[in-house]
Amino acid sequence: MSHQLSRRRLLQLATASAAGLGLAACGDNGSGSAGGDGDSGKITVWSWTTAAEGLRSVVPSFERDNPGITVEVQDVGNPAIWDKITVGLASGGKGLADVLHIGVDYLPGYLDKFPNGIADLSKFGADNYQAAFAKGLWPTVTGKGKAAHALPWEVNPLGLFYRHDHFEKAGVDPDGISDWNDMTAAGSKILDATGVRLLGLDKTGATQDMDFFQNLMQLQDVFYFDQAGKITLASPAAVKALTIIKRLNDAGLIADTAGQGTEKRLLSQGKLATYAEAAWAVEYLASTFPEQKGMWRSMQPPAAVPGGKRNTIVNSTYLAVSGSSTRRKAAWQFIEYALTKPAQINRIFASGGVFPALKAAYDDPRFSAPHPFYGGQKVLRPFVESLSADARATNFTGDYARALKFASDAQSQVLLKGADPADALKKAAEQLAQQTGRQQAA
Amino acid sequence: MTIAPSEHAPAAAPAGRGTTDQTGRTRPGRRRLLTRTSVPYLLIMPAVLGFVIFKAYPIVASLWISLTTGNGAGRHFTGLDNYQRLLHDPLFWTALENTALILVVQVPLMLGLALLVALGLNSTKVWLRPLWRLGVFIPSLTGLVAAGVMFSVILNRDAGLLNWVLSLFGIDRVNWLGSPFWARVGVVLVITWHYTGYNAVIYLAGLQGIPQELYEAAKVDGAGPIRRFVSITLPQLRPILLLTVVLSTIGTLQLFDEPYVLTGGGPDNSTLTVTMYLYNNGFKYFDFGYASALAYALALIVAVLGLLQVRLMGERK
Repeated sequence: MSHQLSRRRLLQLATASAAGLGLAACGDNGSGSAGGDGDSGKITVWSWTTAAEGLRSVVPSFERDNPGITVEVQDVGNPAIWDKITVGLASGGKGLADVLHIGVDYLPGYLDKFPNGIADLSKFGADNYQAAFAKGLWPTVTGKGKAAHALPWEVNPLGLFYRHDHFEKAGVDPDGISDWNDMTAAGSKILDATGVRLLGLDKTGATQDMDFFQNLMQLQDVFYFDQAGKITLASPAAVKALTIIKRLNDAGLIADTAGQGTEKRLLSQGKLATYAEAAWAVEYLASTFPEQKGMWRSMQPPAAVPGGKRNTIVNSTYLAVSGSSTRRKAAWQFIEYALTKPAQINRIFASGGVFPALKAAYDDPRFSAPHPFYGGQKVLRPFVESLSADARATNFTGDYARALKFASDAQSQVLLKGADPADALKKAAEQLAQQTGRQQAA
Repeated sequence: MTIAPSEHAPAAAPAGRGTTDQTGRTRPGRRRLLTRTSVPYLLIMPAVLGFVIFKAYPIVASLWISLTTGNGAGRHFTGLDNYQRLLHDPLFWTALENTALILVVQVPLMLGLALLVALGLNSTKVWLRPLWRLGVFIPSLTGLVAAGVMFSVILNRDAGLLNWVLSLFGIDRVNWLGSPFWARVGVVLVITWHYTGYNAVIYLAGLQGIPQELYEAAKVDGAGPIRRFVSITLPQLRPILLLTVVLSTIGTLQLFDEPYVLTGGGPDNSTLTVTMYLYNNGFKYFDFGYASALAYALALIVAVLGLLQVRLMGERK
């Protein structure tokens, strides 16, 4: 600059330029900045740990089959990925990857709160694949509208992994267990014979360890919300689920897994007789505790109520394209390639242990093969079979995170203070209604 | 470009350039960017820009967002609805109660301890004083998240170091993170460990600024050590005490990292703080309007408390 600046002028310029920069930097507050449908160039993918590893395994063949597109898969980490995606969506899509790996617990919330944040994939032909995936997943990808905003990648049917050696020592026959009443009785026998508790839960609620409670609800086809989005957190089925947990706790069958790495430590020490988890745990147990080879088996989860159903989909994850991506078509091509071709999805499964949602993938012999870690049991087959039987969609809604919080508080009150499950859930449901403006189901 | 010469060495201005008068101000019609008055502004410009972009704008934007509701950019003005909702939210009051409890218990405890440590470090009778000072200050250099993770391991009920030490003395295992009372104690423990040394160093600087003549005069008058502490040390430290009380209060009211890592706000919300609740609303529930209202409510509380403390502890005219 060649001219003299007065003090006032200098301040005016500084303020104006700073305000301009500030406004520019802060974007449009979640409207979803205009992206583009570019079909070439470099696309980035956000995922986490083993899933990212699995996804990387298809990149070489994708790039070979799709010249002009290069893919970089970034392991952002979980739960860090949720903060990154949320901040990105809230700032109009700035800084987001082209492809996002999103869990069922977050996708409905993102679709609900950031209407343009996730790209519409129907225009690329996503709807053609509706019947290709396990039942009960499509409502999640469409959200409230009709357009598909993601493709299912991973599906997690529920199972129950158990320590065969502890069961044997206590004289418990797993085939004689059909519901959680049976399992509670078996748990007491195992505790007496081996000193080992039946399962672990974070009683403090620090990690909102609600999978078990949710599974017990889902086994009764109930969740925090019904299909219309009304609150069912205080429903009889929910009370039944929490009552089962209270009984287990009162019988001394639940180990407290609060604290960093406690559950893993208890599992490695053989101090938990069962591990009520979904299909992803098949490879997790095998790779994390190789020294326990031959000790574990898997069974169908016991029903929550006598005669009740013994299969449910616990959760699922998806690949979506960010609305702000300038290469939405290229991103879609990658998703289509990775998730709709049995050979590719099984390659991912082999690399990362992510149980595929694509039905055609199950024809692969690996899903019927004996697994050496589980004493030669064909451990994957029951999971596949459970997917074809009466799988219902779970409505997570955009308020799942809040529901999880209140449910977790209720569970902690029951486990730590001996609160009555019905009272605790009634209070939780009322708070949830007050905070979300949703009605409670009759 | 040239810097304007000082008034002690006025120079003839080149054609087309302005000259400065004896106060350093440019005469009208002169054209020069760098003068003695403009240089300070240019020097503070990066800081001002940073403040405006990263502080002032978000503060103003947050106020606007707190008066709205909606999704993404589809926000609509709802006035004080979020603030009314806040008043009827039991979880907000629980969080505020927890924060207040930690404030009332932890700040006096920590500052008292810091003063004792500072007095010890200030004593000429202590050997290897620099080493002790370093040792006391090191915890405050530890990252908060790292400290939280470390203490979650130390306080683990079944495999924690602290319970193992207690068991050596025949004391039963304490459920540090699993009971509402002990979880609060655990959080207080972490904050105290982390910040005591930091405050002690501030006090130490204050203690070393007190003129020795005052103590010598008091000794001549027959004042004992306690009398000297009460009548000289404490009054002389008043501005420093005020500073640490206000800073610690603000810090505690904004407590987030330690309970977030250590307890997640549990058990049963006994360690949920206002900032954690704010974070949950913003980044877990995507309820940015309500989260902004919480932020402003907290800012108001901090401001009121800060002013009160300055009024009560400040210099009396």
